[in-house]
Amino acid sequence: MMHTNPLTTTPGKPAIPAAMQLLLIEDDLQAAEYLVKGLRESGYEVAHSADGRDGLEKATQGGYDVIIADRQLPHLDGLTIIGVLRQKGDRTPVLILSALGTVDDRVHGLKAGGDDYLTKPFALAELVARVEALSRRGNAGAAEQTRFRVADLEMDLLGRRVTRSGRNIDLTTKEFQLLEYLMRRPGQVVTRTMLLEGVWNLHFDPQTNIIDVHMSRLRNAIDRGFSKPLIHTVRGAGYVLRDE
Amino acid sequence: MSNETFRLSSARLAVLYVLIVAVGITSVLTTVYVLTARVLDREVDAVIQAEVNGLVEDYQQDGLLGLISTLHTRSDSWGRSGAVYLLSDPYGTRIAGNIARWPNQIDSAGRWIEFEIDASEHGGVVAHPVRAQVFRLPSGRRLLIGTDILERKRLASRLSSAMWWGSGLSVALAALLGVAYSTRVRRRVGAIATTCENIMDGDLTQRLAIEGAHDEFDELSAAVNQMLERIGQQTAVLRTTFDSAAHDLRAPLYRARVRIEEALQHPDVLGSSREAMEATLAELDRVQRTLGTLLQIAQAEGRGVEMELEELDLAALAREIVDLYQPEAGARGIALICNATAGATVHGNRQLLAQALVNLLENALKYVPAGGHVAVGVEPRAQTVVLDVADDGPGVPAEDRQRILQPFIRLERDRQQAGSGLGLSLVAAVIRLHRATIELLDHQPGLLVRCELPMSASAG
Repeated sequence: MMHTNPLTTTPGKPAIPAAMQLLLIEDDLQAAEYLVKGLRESGYEVAHSADGRDGLEKATQGGYDVIIADRQLPHLDGLTIIGVLRQKGDRTPVLILSALGTVDDRVHGLKAGGDDYLTKPFALAELVARVEALSRRGNAGAAEQTRFRVADLEMDLLGRRVTRSGRNIDLTTKEFQLLEYLMRRPGQVVTRTMLLEGVWNLHFDPQTNIIDVHMSRLRNAIDRGFSKPLIHTVRGAGYVLRDE
Repeated sequence: MSNETFRLSSARLAVLYVLIVAVGITSVLTTVYVLTARVLDREVDAVIQAEVNGLVEDYQQDGLLGLISTLHTRSDSWGRSGAVYLLSDPYGTRIAGNIARWPNQIDSAGRWIEFEIDASEHGGVVAHPVRAQVFRLPSGRRLLIGTDILERKRLASRLSSAMWWGSGLSVALAALLGVAYSTRVRRRVGAIATTCENIMDGDLTQRLAIEGAHDEFDELSAAVNQMLERIGQQTAVLRTTFDSAAHDLRAPLYRARVRIEEALQHPDVLGSSREAMEATLAELDRVQRTLGTLLQIAQAEGRGVEMELEELDLAALAREIVDLYQPEAGARGIALICNATAGATVHGNRQLLAQALVNLLENALKYVPAGGHVAVGVEPRAQTVVLDVADDGPGVPAEDRQRILQPFIRLERDRQQAGSGLGLSLVAAVIRLHRATIELLDHQPGLLVRCELPMSASAG
């Protein structure tokens, strides 16, 4: 992990993070193979378990940054695994994958101690973005942080002020919340459903591209008139706020 | 007793019961009293009559002197026999007999009269009622023959008070029984109603209490419990079926998606093959969404599952969602407005209500042409909250308005439009789940969808 790897603490250079360790507990072997491959390509170390008992065994050995667990598994279901872990005081973030996808199922999953929930089928990009969000949660800006800065874009939550290069930017309440969500996750891909959940507290797939319209408004407010855009579209995935 | 209580049939029954008991007992006791009093009266009258006959005989045999002598003899025994005699001259002065003077109120002959005389008794003076008959003798003298009816009066008064106590006690007992019965009925019906409400709220595990009294309520409760057992089993079967259907349909969909996504990552997939694969992916997502919606409808209609319910402000939710769709409406050239009045608190599932509202809004935005209007209204009423989504689009013909709430029913003219035909069905299911009503109305022009939800009890 980070503190055991001397490479990551080289001063003066951007830290090269050691690969995050993921545990995927999924009985659908074909899907698992694809997910493992996709997650590895995104830079994660992935261990795989094909059933609940083996998964729980691996999970209790510890050392994983995020656990991805299917809801319905042979021997032990995903929620039981989370229950056992939480009872032992293990707070490792768990992402639940479920084929049920009803409102109740989601609530049950989160009540059982899951940290996020994804309904099958999902795009790989959605899973990667959510895993990234979970893995960063530990060292992301604390909830009480009130000032954020990405490049020359600054946000002050208390003063409810946004400036870019010192110039004041007027935002509506929702645009402000949208930007706050992005500012708390700089350089991190956020998907449309993550935005809908995080900013609007709505958990469903909108039929239309409503989030895109909101993002394009925010983009107009933040990036128009500046040579360097900060909000970027990630094709097939979502958006990222990044200084590049 | 309040009007509300009185309207309860058990309370009405109890009152009716008390009334019947009161009338019944009172009439029985009154009859007994009247008959007994009459028998006593007759007895008294017969005694007096015998006395009269005896005296008349004496008078006829021995004349006035004979009568006086008999009266003297008999008067001595007054107090034991209770006989009262008085013979007076035409002016009321006593000639013979055992009372001092002619009673004030009497002078007509041949009539039954009643009066009181004072007699000393145990050192005190007691008024004795007397019943008597008055005769006028040929000489103008008057004769009064009577009897002391104190004992009879006492008996009658005791009888009457016994009657009153009896009636009163019976009525009080009847009232007590009536109230107890009515309370018991109300309590048991109330318990049944409460359990039924809990069950309607989704807790199918609840059962009606059987109190072991082997009464009609136990019989009813047992029957209802049996019914619930069956419904519970069927719901469980249905739920398992849906869960496995969801799993068994989603798993292959998921694998198909994975395969295509994986293939699309190869850089050598180009041009029309890439387009076809991307279109297939979009199609798969559509199937997945339809499946998801169907499951949600099934879940909402099933009601056999616990729903996460919370107190929520429908006005705030409407504003949020209108705000979410505002840019979309703007892009389509549609004016979207929201008239939401505060205080519209309902007990509901935020995600499902949001989904319902989004479906209504997306529907309106889909069918209203550019330049049109869509209005979302939330208005708290006395007991309900009214949620309106109105547009000035093409509307829905009256004969189709009920039909299009059913799954997969679409209007002929919309066949070409994208959509699953499930959006409104989900809305209807969600609305029904919230024990609310949904109506499709003519907005002249356009469509007005009006949902009326019960206002949360805890709201001011």
